[in-house]
Amino acid sequence: MRYFLRRTIQAVLLLFGVSVLTFLFSALAPGNYFDEMRLNPQISSETLASLRAQYQLDRPLPIRYAYWVSSVLRGELGFSFAYNTPVGPLLWVRARNTLLLTLTATLLAWALALPVGIWSAASLGRWPDRALSGATATFLIVPELVLALGLLIFAVRTNWFPTGGFVSTGFETLSPANKLRDIVLHMALPVAALALSSLPILLRHVRAAMAEVLGAPFLRAAEGHGIPRQTLLFKYALRAAANPLISLFGFSLGALLSGSLIVEVVMSWPGLGPLLLEAILARDVYVVIGGVLLSTIFLVGGNFVADMLLYRADPRIRTESAAK
Amino acid sequence: MRTKRASLLVTLLGLAGLCAAREAASYPHAFTPQQSKSEEELLTLPGELGRPGGRLVVSLRAEPKTLNPLTAVDAPSREVILGAMQADLVHINRATQLTEPALATSWRVSADYLQYTLTLRKGLRFSDGHPMDADDILFTFRVYLDENVHATQRDLLLIGGKPIAVRKVDALTLVFQLPQPYGVGERLFDGLAILPRHLLEKPYTEGKLAETWALSTPANLWAGLGPFRLKEYIPGQRLVLERNPYYWKQDGKGTRLPYLDELDFLFVPSSDAQVLRFQSGDTDVISRLSADNFFLLQRQQRGFTMADAGPGLEYNFVFFNLNDLGEKASSEMARKQKWFREVKFRQAVSLTVDREALVRLVYQGRGAALWGPVTPGNRRWLNTSVPHPARSLDQARRLLKEAGFSWTNASNGDSVLVDSGGKPVEFSILTSSSNADRTKMATLLQDDLKQLGMHVQVAPLEFRSLIERVTQTKEYDACLLGLVSFDADPNSDLNVWLSSGGTHLWNPSQAHPATTWEAEMDHLMEQQLSATTYEQRKKLYDRVQEILAENQPMIFLASPHILAGAKDTVGNFHAAVLEPYVLWNVEQLFQRDGAGSNSK
Repeated sequence: MRYFLRRTIQAVLLLFGVSVLTFLFSALAPGNYFDEMRLNPQISSETLASLRAQYQLDRPLPIRYAYWVSSVLRGELGFSFAYNTPVGPLLWVRARNTLLLTLTATLLAWALALPVGIWSAASLGRWPDRALSGATATFLIVPELVLALGLLIFAVRTNWFPTGGFVSTGFETLSPANKLRDIVLHMALPVAALALSSLPILLRHVRAAMAEVLGAPFLRAAEGHGIPRQTLLFKYALRAAANPLISLFGFSLGALLSGSLIVEVVMSWPGLGPLLLEAILARDVYVVIGGVLLSTIFLVGGNFVADMLLYRADPRIRTESAAK
Repeated sequence: MRTKRASLLVTLLGLAGLCAAREAASYPHAFTPQQSKSEEELLTLPGELGRPGGRLVVSLRAEPKTLNPLTAVDAPSREVILGAMQADLVHINRATQLTEPALATSWRVSADYLQYTLTLRKGLRFSDGHPMDADDILFTFRVYLDENVHATQRDLLLIGGKPIAVRKVDALTLVFQLPQPYGVGERLFDGLAILPRHLLEKPYTEGKLAETWALSTPANLWAGLGPFRLKEYIPGQRLVLERNPYYWKQDGKGTRLPYLDELDFLFVPSSDAQVLRFQSGDTDVISRLSADNFFLLQRQQRGFTMADAGPGLEYNFVFFNLNDLGEKASSEMARKQKWFREVKFRQAVSLTVDREALVRLVYQGRGAALWGPVTPGNRRWLNTSVPHPARSLDQARRLLKEAGFSWTNASNGDSVLVDSGGKPVEFSILTSSSNADRTKMATLLQDDLKQLGMHVQVAPLEFRSLIERVTQTKEYDACLLGLVSFDADPNSDLNVWLSSGGTHLWNPSQAHPATTWEAEMDHLMEQQLSATTYEQRKKLYDRVQEILAENQPMIFLASPHILAGAKDTVGNFHAAVLEPYVLWNVEQLFQRDGAGSNSK
């Protein structure tokens, strides 16, 4: 219990630190939301000054921070200059779309990485393993952006997939089955881009963790006792190799909100990516800070889940924390 | 026979009643149209007769941020609000660039040009069916002019720092009293959306006007006078507008406009993705195309038409830091400013720029070389007698020599331009990193100036940081920027040419004009503001263009063409050089096949 309490306090402190730092950095960035209007010959500097005052951009930083914290406690996460609304609702709606994409991609990547990685480790050094290593190395060096663009070109050339967005125009007139098909088709390419970019890393970790365990004396002994290879791999070896993989899974969870931003922008997916990119360029600072905070919550949450899983999976951690 | 006819009539009336009842259900404020057609004064538009029905899908680079004309400052919101949802009293025709009747059928100007009397169209209704009258206009101007509302329109309605006053004569007549004579007062009304008093008066008195009409507003709480009204907004994805059944325009055959049943705006966050969506048939029209993308689409033309509307109103230029920095200036900056203040130095730079190469390499020929701020797209105000000197390095060298500059040889054999103190001429040009065209232009300029022995660095900077440097901290040598006039009229650029203006970029917001030629420009711009005939104003503005050409405070470079495209099925598609380039006649656009973009 104390173990969890300690982790929770750490998480809260981390969130506080992140919020202070993002606030500070966003204040340090040159320019503000209303600067673009300075180039509009039809808006006077007096109007600009009154707008800045209306949104309290002329107040000192600690006061702005205090206002912001109070709005976080109300669940609003600050106020967007561009949308003239609280940031919270802006982020929630889009975070849902992002999660739909990233959860699917993460599950898909893990579902592929585990069996393939184990298989690769089992055939260590032989040709299937070598071929796979070559393929993962290739995918590792291709940036996510290039992968997404490549898939888009594929979509335009073949006309098999839509070139972006969440649903087609006229979606509301489709039958339920066709609606599902439409969403799946729209998700296919961004999910593929995300899964393909995270798969090689996962594969390599699974392979390395398994390979390390497979050489262990207790497994050789088990093999000598005539335990079937399948049981050996999936029941004993995987459990022994689970520790680093659980930590990695925590990271995967942590990246759910922040890992897909580029792909979303390229594939015009209505998630957090396009919103945050625009907010960063427009200096809509509270939207940016809100987005960072939300991503941090996920990161902290992902690590927390990993810690809990480790606590369950590894008796050494339990005894260590009990000893303290 | 008679009974049969009577029963048909009853059925038809019943159906009409049902339709009206359905409409009233979705719009609680709706009034069933009881007025006979004769009481409505519909505006008849010329042009190809279209086919009612269908949907048009357009992509927007970013989501609109609001549906509230008072707080809309971003381009997508303005495009949606002014292009499709709202209407103005007097409208500037985007094709002819002249004013034409809109919500006002006519206007009369008093002999002293201080009073504009506007007569409203009869039988006008907001998109929720509520009648519109002079009280709505009074309310609208009260809101725009209220300092506590912070409407960006307020600055437009101040003439010489004093507000316009509005008075109602009767339900259809209004008098606008101007604080000082203003030659083209009717142009002020373009783009000023008329607000529904019945929906906005309450939030206004409660001080909550800025927060109303956010994108999440339920459709029945929103009303406008434009061709389309709000139907649905899906965050991050699309904004769906539907036909306004009370719109006040008709076609030559008496069919009430708009033709389209629905107008969908898709949010597509990058310009390349917009091209892809257009190519794959998801969207029906596309505008703001770069020359590269235009050529790409032109090459692969499959069922769409590409249009080049010619040079728009964007002018790109480079300017030097001529601010009076006082104590703040470092000795190095003071030395550089000595060069920049020398008119011969600026003239030499202008003579060195290869404008034709800029047009060819940056815009692939789809652009126009510029020697002044008025582009060839703005025929009415372009001063054709401003000289267009050809590129001449010899003449540039002569001018520099006259100004006390000379050349020495560097250790690597390059010829280096040095000032009278023997210091080499080196400076940097800021440019916006997000604008590939301008960065390319700056690099070409760097090459051109190298031939004069000037060492120029190009510094691409994130846009807002750039604006802060230029307008606030003033820590820069030179900057390459572009401005887009909202209107072809010179008044839209008043703050660029007045020395007191915030966008008088080379030395903004001066208390007194720093130079005699700036004082002359101030005087000319103020004179043309109150001059009453086009000829008088043109003569004054021609002189402003001459002063700019003589003194080169901005070295004008080039203007891109307005490039657009539409599916072959879209009728009445004519790209204009004024914003909104493609949707300016959205009420007349129609789908030849009656359907429009649909799911694939």
